[in-house]
Amino acid sequence: MAIATIIALFGAVVCGLVVGPTSIGATRVIGDVLSYVGIGHSTLSPLQSLVVWQIRAPRLVLGLLAGAMLAVAGGTYQGVFRNPLADPYLLGVAAGAGLGATIAIVDVGGGLSTPNWTPVLAFVGALVAVVITWTIGGRGLRSSTATLILAGVAVASLLTSAQTFLQQQSSPDSLARVYIWLLGSLASAGWSSVTLVLPYVVVCVAICVVAGRALDVMSVGEDESRSLGLPVRRVRFIVIAASSLGTAAIVSAVGLIGFVGIIVPHIVRLLVGTSYRRILPISVIFGAAFLVFADTIARTVMAPSELPLGVVTAAIGAPVFVIILSLRRRMVA
Amino acid sequence: MSAVTIRDLAVRVGSSTLLQDISIEVESGSWCTVIGPNGAGKTTLVETVAGLRRPSSGTVAIDGDVLHALNERSRALRVALVTQHPIIPPGMSVLDYVSLSRTPYHGSLRAPSAADRFAVAEVMTRLALDEYADRDILTLSGGERQRAVLARALAQSTRVLVLDEPITGLDLRHQMTILELLQKEVRESGLTVLATLHDLTLAGQFADRLVLLNKGRLVLDGPSGDVVRSRELSECYEMELRVIDVDGADVVVPARH
Repeated sequence: MAIATIIALFGAVVCGLVVGPTSIGATRVIGDVLSYVGIGHSTLSPLQSLVVWQIRAPRLVLGLLAGAMLAVAGGTYQGVFRNPLADPYLLGVAAGAGLGATIAIVDVGGGLSTPNWTPVLAFVGALVAVVITWTIGGRGLRSSTATLILAGVAVASLLTSAQTFLQQQSSPDSLARVYIWLLGSLASAGWSSVTLVLPYVVVCVAICVVAGRALDVMSVGEDESRSLGLPVRRVRFIVIAASSLGTAAIVSAVGLIGFVGIIVPHIVRLLVGTSYRRILPISVIFGAAFLVFADTIARTVMAPSELPLGVVTAAIGAPVFVIILSLRRRMVA
Repeated sequence: MSAVTIRDLAVRVGSSTLLQDISIEVESGSWCTVIGPNGAGKTTLVETVAGLRRPSSGTVAIDGDVLHALNERSRALRVALVTQHPIIPPGMSVLDYVSLSRTPYHGSLRAPSAADRFAVAEVMTRLALDEYADRDILTLSGGERQRAVLARALAQSTRVLVLDEPITGLDLRHQMTILELLQKEVRESGLTVLATLHDLTLAGQFADRLVLLNKGRLVLDGPSGDVVRSRELSECYEMELRVIDVDGADVVVPARH
């Protein structure tokens, strides 16, 4: 299974580099890549090299990072909340980021309209939303995770209403830009966004993957995992903080890409069983590959215009999920 | 020496008092069962002894160590818990489930050691669970499942085991299986058991000592035979209870009018 996902990842990387509106032969791209490690020499023209290394490669890397982070955050949330419907946006990350981005795009107060402010405010908005949710829902002596989820719903609704209000008040031009941002896209990816996001993703993914064993213990519920010696509240805090921080970083760079966080861990669970020690690391690889494939489709099917990435992830993810679900049911029966 | 020492324990939540003035000592290697009507505070007592609740006042000590001065991990090395409604994680194998018991030994970041795996295997064999090792624990029958839950608690290798209604929902034969397994652990391995039970007959037959709670207070604490025959027992349950001797065993029945 691990080998299969690594092959999928490799396939996704090749697709991400080779496929695109500018037709460059696959062998020539691979030859160029190999030339960097001292095998053969590149036959790409400077322009083609620019397309591969300044357009496709950063987009590919950002897609890998986003897919890995969203998938592992979704799986982690599902474990920590023991709720199969949990996704990385559960505690208000999406709504907070949306409001932050809208404030920047609509240029509330003036001086924010340069594109650089959009990721910054989206990131801040996402974190503020999670902190509010945690403060409202995470207190109390025996606060249950249900309170936290409900607080997340309340905070998300409130921030979304503020965001919708701003959006509705804005000019048609910024309305369109807000809308495009909300749908999520890797189109504006460059090496700068990769380097901005990379440290968060590496640290947060590592924390989530390492927490797999603790999440397995927590599957017996709070009381019993405490009686098994697990510092449940500390684990919960660390894991939620890591997932939220990583998701916030990704969302600020690529907008709201839906469906990866919920569908990938479920597909992986169907394939490898219910242990988070397996689900989380495989979700990292599978999520990365899945998002790059989805993005390759998004930018080629209707080229030169692009499909919203969230549309593609859902359009592929949902049928794949249903097929695996029914196959597995047949296998069990 | 007493394995569990509860001294002047009170547990309050908000303005309601769940337990008050509770002092109990459970001898090492003995079985003490807590009885009492619904709402007497049995579950609260069990949760406090397992370290899940903090006493509002008073102390709980295991082998002389005050429980609430310990961190989760050291607590889990001293006392194991079987809750009233154990949460069974879907899709987990019986072996993986029982192996969770070793978490306090290897921690949540490292894999179980050979010693951990050995301890799990040994308990699985003792409780006749070997043939179920790879089965999804959800596919087990109620009786087998409760045996797996008990195995998880025993493989934690603590000297004190706390159980809240461990035979709820089991048929009579499986109730006896679980209680006899526990009795064997108490007699042969020197395990100390603190349990709650609703069935007064089984409570009397399997415990060395009974503690009767009512409305958060300790009413009676004594040898099983004395407690089941006491006037206080009928008073707490607000009904007349009779004890019938069946071949030397006490059977507690309600008197019907």
